[in-house]
Amino acid sequence: MPTGAYRRLNPATKLALALAEAVLALGVRGWSGPLVVIAVCVAVAIAARIARRSVLLVLASIPLLLSIVLVNTFLYPGATDPIVQLGPVRPTWTGLAAAVQATLRVVAFGFSVVVLILTTEPDHLIADLERRGLGRRAAFVVGATLRAIPRTTQRAGQITEAQRARALDTEGRLWRRVRGILPLAGPLVFGALTDVEEQTMALEARAFSAPGRRTVLRVFPDSATQRVVRWAALLGALALLTSSIAGVLEAIP
Amino acid sequence: MSLVLAGVRYRYAGSRTDALDRIDLAVPSGSVTGLVGPNEAGKSTICLVAAGLAPATIGGHLEGVVSIDGVESSSARPHELAQRCGILFQNPATQLSGTAPTVWEEVAFGPRNLALPVDDVVDRVTDALAALGIESLAERDPTRLSGGQAQLVALAGILALRPALVILDEPTSQLDPQGTRMVGEALRRLVRENRTAILVVEHKTALLDQLADRVVVVDQGRLIREGPTDEVLSDPALSEHGVEPPPRVRVRSALAGAGLRTPREADVLIAELTR
Amino acid sequence: MAWLSRQFSTRVIVLIPIAIAINIVLGFTVQKVLNLPIYLDSIGTILVGVLAGPIAGAVTGAASNLIWQYAPVIGPGSNIGPFAITAAVIGLLAGLWGQLGVYKSRPAEGMRLWLAIAIGVAAPALLILPIINNPAYTDPNVGGYPSWVYWAAVLIAATFALVLAAVAYVRRDSAAVWVALAGAATGIVAAVVSAPIAAIVYGGVMGSGTDLLVAALRQGGADVYHASLGQGLFSDPIDKTITSFVVFLVVLGLSRRLLARFPMGERLTDTASA
Repeated sequence: MPTGAYRRLNPATKLALALAEAVLALGVRGWSGPLVVIAVCVAVAIAARIARRSVLLVLASIPLLLSIVLVNTFLYPGATDPIVQLGPVRPTWTGLAAAVQATLRVVAFGFSVVVLILTTEPDHLIADLERRGLGRRAAFVVGATLRAIPRTTQRAGQITEAQRARALDTEGRLWRRVRGILPLAGPLVFGALTDVEEQTMALEARAFSAPGRRTVLRVFPDSATQRVVRWAALLGALALLTSSIAGVLEAIP
Repeated sequence: MSLVLAGVRYRYAGSRTDALDRIDLAVPSGSVTGLVGPNEAGKSTICLVAAGLAPATIGGHLEGVVSIDGVESSSARPHELAQRCGILFQNPATQLSGTAPTVWEEVAFGPRNLALPVDDVVDRVTDALAALGIESLAERDPTRLSGGQAQLVALAGILALRPALVILDEPTSQLDPQGTRMVGEALRRLVRENRTAILVVEHKTALLDQLADRVVVVDQGRLIREGPTDEVLSDPALSEHGVEPPPRVRVRSALAGAGLRTPREADVLIAELTR
Repeated sequence: MAWLSRQFSTRVIVLIPIAIAINIVLGFTVQKVLNLPIYLDSIGTILVGVLAGPIAGAVTGAASNLIWQYAPVIGPGSNIGPFAITAAVIGLLAGLWGQLGVYKSRPAEGMRLWLAIAIGVAAPALLILPIINNPAYTDPNVGGYPSWVYWAAVLIAATFALVLAAVAYVRRDSAAVWVALAGAATGIVAAVVSAPIAAIVYGGVMGSGTDLLVAALRQGGADVYHASLGQGLFSDPIDKTITSFVVFLVVLGLSRRLLARFPMGERLTDTASA
């Protein structure tokens, strides 16, 4: 697959694949599901030249993975097959197996998330979904949230700076840090609420509540093949999920 | 008449007193009307009522008739009113939709909402940007504009709906002098080239002096005075209602106070100095 | 159906992104800066539930988790996505409490105030007793908890009751009692919903300081599910009670004019006074 081919796929296709991967990674019992997902994601990452970046991002889960491995290997209740006896601690094979299982899940899910983030523009995805029938209100909520996050972070920073000047900061000893967080929440929420009125009026004044589907400005190329792939991925994932819950997949590792 | 308010009384939701008491106001098409008065006089309330946002969007109790471009606001939905009357507030940040990556898409927000054909949307955006002279901003990120630029983009977004009436509630109050100059020039251009009626609330009477045909004075929810700009802004009783006369009038009265007559040449000088 | 579309008026559509951003920014800040067993990532969710209703609250909760998980920069490495269900339940409950008038200020004095405080103190006590006395919980072989957990639970319940009484007394507002109880109840439900997700997806841990608690519980004999549940029952009620109080104080500080414009505004103000 040439570079950029995955990126050029229709956004809805990339989303469908990510959702199917998520279901396979998290909802299906056994090791096969997560391993398949990891394999697919690695292939896509290499093809789309995002391999290095995606691995780096997946590594952000290391604290979680460490905790999973340590807690489960050493403290798996009811396990009676120790690997070795190191004084009071008894790592077990059952525990280790459980740890590996959970680790695979987290890595697989994390990888599918990272691939989606690195290959898809949020605005493009929202626009394409809107063309397919997603309401203007849902599209607005997602788009506005993504832009509100940096703005709110900035505001939180300003509030914290002002409070630092009044010795209510978030550095230092624990009690000070706790005291610093609560006075941040109040002003943050209040400040946000005061904008709601004017933003509401501004939206109404620009005909936001008009009926019907908004004009589509940009159409992303799609193909019959991609449609098939989307349906296959989503239905297949659903089928595997229900099979797993129904206990049909017990034989598969 | 682009706007008619007849016998209007309005009370905000959860409030016990009337914010507006028997307001009668008319704005002819193609003209500019200024609205002045002290704080909490009801100027912003008049704007909200005139735009149909009160009571439809913010609740409250309205009596009297509000007619925008011939349509009564009580019988029209908000999006229908939006195509007849646009309104611009003080804070540029809250008026931009916050969902558009470029200024062009931001201005297209309104026409898109109306589900207009793509060509129509493109025409309207192009016209709106041209009307305010901000074509050069089209590819910029709306979150990275100066106050004045953001205000003009918000105004372009309003103009893209092609309203017959535009209401501006203290459009320059949160802007620095350069921003104020930008908005003032854009409004002058708009008045010259469009037939849009404009109702503008401003404390900066110098701006009204240059833009407005008529000025209305409001205090405590009541109409105090109404008339041609020159007459109303030269009225010495203006300061009783918390309105500062424009520099031109102040210079004139200072000269008169010093016993000097003002020859016509002085008028030109004053206009130049106080622009 | 009209009830549903009213919950998603333009005003609510404007509020939701702001609420989600607050959830994410506060949640992220608390995670990075503090290592306490609180999350503070539901303030926006509960606020929307209280102001706009249960469905809007549920949508806010679920969307917060999903957007956070798939957001550039902050998404990778986070384990918040699968808990979207929990977040939706929190929003739903907040809407329910709002409908029941829990967040309405109820100034009270004297006997009425003390009666409310007494109820607030009695409730956790009544909840704790069957848990302590039930042999199923004390037998390690049945996935029960180590004995120190019970002393911890008593201590927490007592602290809860004390703080509750103090706030209600200081603010002369019996609503504080109901808000606290609602918060605690929401926390308990959240813990119960989250435990299976944590156990199945993440091997029972969260990747944060609370894992020490999970380890301790397992050391004492709890199985994977009960250890996660135990950690949840420790963190969530505290977190949701604090969050509910913050929302309560915010709502108290809003003018009647502003509140009246939200779908659930009337439940939050005295309808008696015009």
